[in-house]
Amino acid sequence: MSIATGRAASPLSARSAKKPNVFSRMAAHRTDYLYVLPALIVMMVVIAYPIYYTIELSFYRTPPNLQLRDKVWAGFDNYTAVLSSSVFHEVTLNTVIWTVASTFFSFVLGLGAALSLHREFIGRGLFRALLMIPYVVSAVAASYVWKWLYHSDFGVIGALAVQLGFTSEPINFLDNRQTVLSSLIVVNIWREFSFAMVMMMAGLQTVPEQLLRAAQVDGATPWNRFWHVTFPHLKGVSMVTVLLLMVANFNSIIIPFIMTGGGPADASHIWITHIYQLAFGRQQWGAAAAYAVILFIVMMALGYFYVKALTRGDEARQE
Amino acid sequence: MAQVVLQDIVKSYGSLYAVNHVSLTVDDGEFVALVGPSGCGKTTTLNLVAGLLPMTDGDIVIGDRIVTDLDPKDRDIAMVFQNYALYPNKTVYKNLAFPLQMRKLPKDEIDQKVRAAAKVLDIVPLLERRPRELSGGQQQRVALGRALVRDPRVFLMDEPLSNLDAKLRVQMRTEIKRFHQDLNATIIYVTHDQLEAVTMADKMAVMNKGFLQQYDTPKNVFDNPVNTFVASFIGSPAMSLVPLEVVQRGDQAVLTNEAGWELPLSAMNTRKALKATTNKVVLGARHSTIKLHKSETVGAVPARVYTVEPTGDITFVQAFVGEAVVIVSLDPTVIVRPDEDVWLEFDQERMHLFDGETTMALSAA
Repeated sequence: MSIATGRAASPLSARSAKKPNVFSRMAAHRTDYLYVLPALIVMMVVIAYPIYYTIELSFYRTPPNLQLRDKVWAGFDNYTAVLSSSVFHEVTLNTVIWTVASTFFSFVLGLGAALSLHREFIGRGLFRALLMIPYVVSAVAASYVWKWLYHSDFGVIGALAVQLGFTSEPINFLDNRQTVLSSLIVVNIWREFSFAMVMMMAGLQTVPEQLLRAAQVDGATPWNRFWHVTFPHLKGVSMVTVLLLMVANFNSIIIPFIMTGGGPADASHIWITHIYQLAFGRQQWGAAAAYAVILFIVMMALGYFYVKALTRGDEARQE
Repeated sequence: MAQVVLQDIVKSYGSLYAVNHVSLTVDDGEFVALVGPSGCGKTTTLNLVAGLLPMTDGDIVIGDRIVTDLDPKDRDIAMVFQNYALYPNKTVYKNLAFPLQMRKLPKDEIDQKVRAAAKVLDIVPLLERRPRELSGGQQQRVALGRALVRDPRVFLMDEPLSNLDAKLRVQMRTEIKRFHQDLNATIIYVTHDQLEAVTMADKMAVMNKGFLQQYDTPKNVFDNPVNTFVASFIGSPAMSLVPLEVVQRGDQAVLTNEAGWELPLSAMNTRKALKATTNKVVLGARHSTIKLHKSETVGAVPARVYTVEPTGDITFVQAFVGEAVVIVSLDPTVIVRPDEDVWLEFDQERMHLFDGETTMALSAA
């Protein structure tokens, strides 16, 4: 009899064990937590505390020196000031253009390069290595080189344009409000497409040969084989690549910071460079913190939706 | 449906010949199995017929057309792959429709053909599902459907059952056989499993190391293997092969080995044995044609039992004759123990003799 009741009770306990409350689960594993405690403390200090401190600062008016203990509570003043400023709108637009254009073209070029390097041909290894260079070169060094390439008086690109007769005088790539952002985006694409290429080359390795053969027998043209077999197969790795590119582009600082510092007249500022300038250039710690918090929220939201879209396929597979 | 002719086809990679001057004719409506161990060139041959690999030399004729230089899509063939090769992102319906879409058929005709094929293969309820939601057997049926929907001149099948579990494989075997009978389809079927070839095919082409060894009906291949390779590859358990020496004693030839015993041959087998290029011959015998004696018997050769494998209605005994292993089947009521000395009597009518040098079967004529 006791066995029978025990059996009857087990489905119930199984169900309650399925959704236990977080704290009771933690208590059950308290020794495990003890083992990770040192790492946890380090992470609290280097990650959690700065996040907390940034959020705290964003609610204060700060003096333009490092005497942060003189800060004054300002409520949401920083946020309203930031959101209503015209610079905010320009910088946001720049950031969106920068991120979308860099991500899109890096991905498309990377995919194209991966596809052309997927076929066997003489010198494939050399081409692969050459196309990897932008990604392995230091971004700072590359930025300085590009700055010289773009230079209005001594730049190779401007000189070439004149030689080939495209223009009568060298183009002013970086000191012109109209061309500066796109010039920087070109550098960014040059740097990032090789990352996309490596990701897509890895993805291409996983496309089953038999599927391509089946499509060939079924009468698919090379384009149809790419569109119906290869590309759907690359969906997962494409999404990861685009996510990583977007995050990297949203947070990029090196290229604009070194090449223009956000100028001329804020025309090439994106969020991170602007935040940097507000904080360390103009000592407006509170406003910079408010910017950073908004960026943080946007990034978290983007990441959440993206990861959700990414894992939807996996859940369906598990069911 | 159409006839398929392979004329002296060759596929080489440098000095390595994957397919070495193979010629064979698959008649209209015939089911031919290409069989052989891995690396024998059977899948390469199939890919050459499909046009998926460039051919080094030779010609392939399908129906009344030489297709040697045509693309796979223009050869009017359909292929079924080992791992089904269904498009994972498409529903079953779209998988079936794909080859028709690629041929730019009108939508209502595609729909009609897809539904007809689905009906034949009993997969109508699965049409809206995706391949990953199907069992292995269902996926295989969809793969057959995708081949069927095109109404091709020849079906090429590359080990279509080897990813299925044993029970399902037997079931799908009968379904494919039925598929062949109902459609009167020309099928070229690659398998490494000789049992599949024997049970399903009208004719089997046994390949080894790129060469076509024998091309005949399963019965003829089983009864009259042309060489020791075919003899050892076809049949389960395989034919036992014992290398021996032939000595002439007057009109009669006898077989001997180092142990010194002599096995006198019948008149017919004497004629065969004396045709050997040297004095080395290989005696071949299937398990059911060998009699096991527990005491010394005239016309039987001594052997030592190695293992005994009871399978229920038959017990297989492996015994050493000299260095060679001979498999004998016994009634399970006969008790034999490992390391026991026994005497084996070979049925002179049904034994095979092969040339010890060339490995080819010896004939009396």
